[in-house]
Amino acid sequence: MSLVWDNGLFLLKGAYYTLLITVISMIFGLLIGIVVALARLKGNLPIRWLARAYVSVIRGTPAYVQILIVYFGLVDYGITLGPITAACVALSINVGAYLSETFRGAILAIPKGQTEAAYATGMTSWQTLRRIVFPQAARVAIAPMGNTFIGMLKETALVSVITVTELVRSAQLLIAQYFVNMPFYLGIAAIYWVMSTGFSAILHAIEKRLSKAY
Amino acid sequence: MMIRTTELSKSFHGVEVLRSIDLGVAAREIVVLLGPSGSGKSTLLRCLNGLEELSGGSLEVNGVRVDADMPSRRKRSSFREIRRNAGMVFQQFNLYPHKTALGNVIESLLTVKKLGRAEAEGIGERLLERVGLADKKDQYPSRLSGGQQQRVAIARALAMEPSVMLFDEPTSALDPELVGEVLEVMRQLAREGMTMVVVTHEMKFARQVANRIVFMDGGVVVEEREPEDFFRDPRSERARKFLNQLSDH
Repeated sequence: MSLVWDNGLFLLKGAYYTLLITVISMIFGLLIGIVVALARLKGNLPIRWLARAYVSVIRGTPAYVQILIVYFGLVDYGITLGPITAACVALSINVGAYLSETFRGAILAIPKGQTEAAYATGMTSWQTLRRIVFPQAARVAIAPMGNTFIGMLKETALVSVITVTELVRSAQLLIAQYFVNMPFYLGIAAIYWVMSTGFSAILHAIEKRLSKAY
Repeated sequence: MMIRTTELSKSFHGVEVLRSIDLGVAAREIVVLLGPSGSGKSTLLRCLNGLEELSGGSLEVNGVRVDADMPSRRKRSSFREIRRNAGMVFQQFNLYPHKTALGNVIESLLTVKKLGRAEAEGIGERLLERVGLADKKDQYPSRLSGGQQQRVAIARALAMEPSVMLFDEPTSALDPELVGEVLEVMRQLAREGMTMVVVTHEMKFARQVANRIVFMDGGVVVEEREPEDFFRDPRSERARKFLNQLSDH
């Protein structure tokens, strides 16, 4: 176990990349999710169709394959992304599809009377979405969104195959150096657990805040 | 005329719910729409501020005209103008659950009228006082009784200083003992000279407060009378039947 402590800094650096990729992909995934949810709810026919196709393709293929396509596949077309950029692009696109479904469901869960009440006072449909529907939908969406985020934190392990030295790859490098497996694997498992528990706590606090009116 | 509909009609999926309605409401007049359920009275009310799309005919509210065959963009902007001048109160209150009583009342002042928060809150507090809920301004709707919620909803509708108020069965979702407080606020509005169109099943209110009863059935206006005449001696067979069924209980 002392091997893990001795190499703690190296593993923490791996944890840093895991966290970095998670947070960046979360932010862009959130934006993609909102835009795609709105496209499916409010867009015209071709836009709705496009959004549906995106969700269907992303949810119907493994994240692993998506990462390989972005990092190795795009090179054939002259698009060369760095490993971390490729990881963030692939995971943002991946998580965006799942979140768009969450958001769409959350927006549809808000009673029609809310929109009508806002319209009846002269608000535009955009004002109504922003001020009345979104805040209520956020409360509905936060729990499933939290699951998606924590799932993604763990899915970042996949990007070790494209040479991002995140947690898994850090452990693998140390294993290659010291020829022992278990302590390093247990060590990164512990770090994953701490990070996902931390995320859960933050999301729980947000959920509580959003629910204070209810 | 504050409100005028001309041959207004409305169908849902090919079923005609409103057929060629010609209704006029003068300024300061209080019109109560009566009729059996499914007669089209709520739909008519919701057509007046564009919550239901018109299928035919036209309407004019406070000088803003909408034709069924206008381009939809123009219809939308005309209805938005109408809505700024026409407050609406719903059967299910439809208060914003994530905002306090005061937050509900001032929302349109902030977003539509673009007032500053301080000014809006001043107006909002006065309106809550008017409906007797000054002390509840920081409560969320979930903490208020049905009657209190509906009074907040009335204050919210009044915030835009509407020239006409539309009430869609405002007491139908309330426990019987809470109906009175809402009707009292509506009576107060009537005394202050507000133009009101009310869909309700409160016959006593209709009889005492309305200037005119519009009785609807099957998507048409069957009878239009002064309340005393209507209740004492309804002309149409359908109105007689409707009133008899009510007094049976």
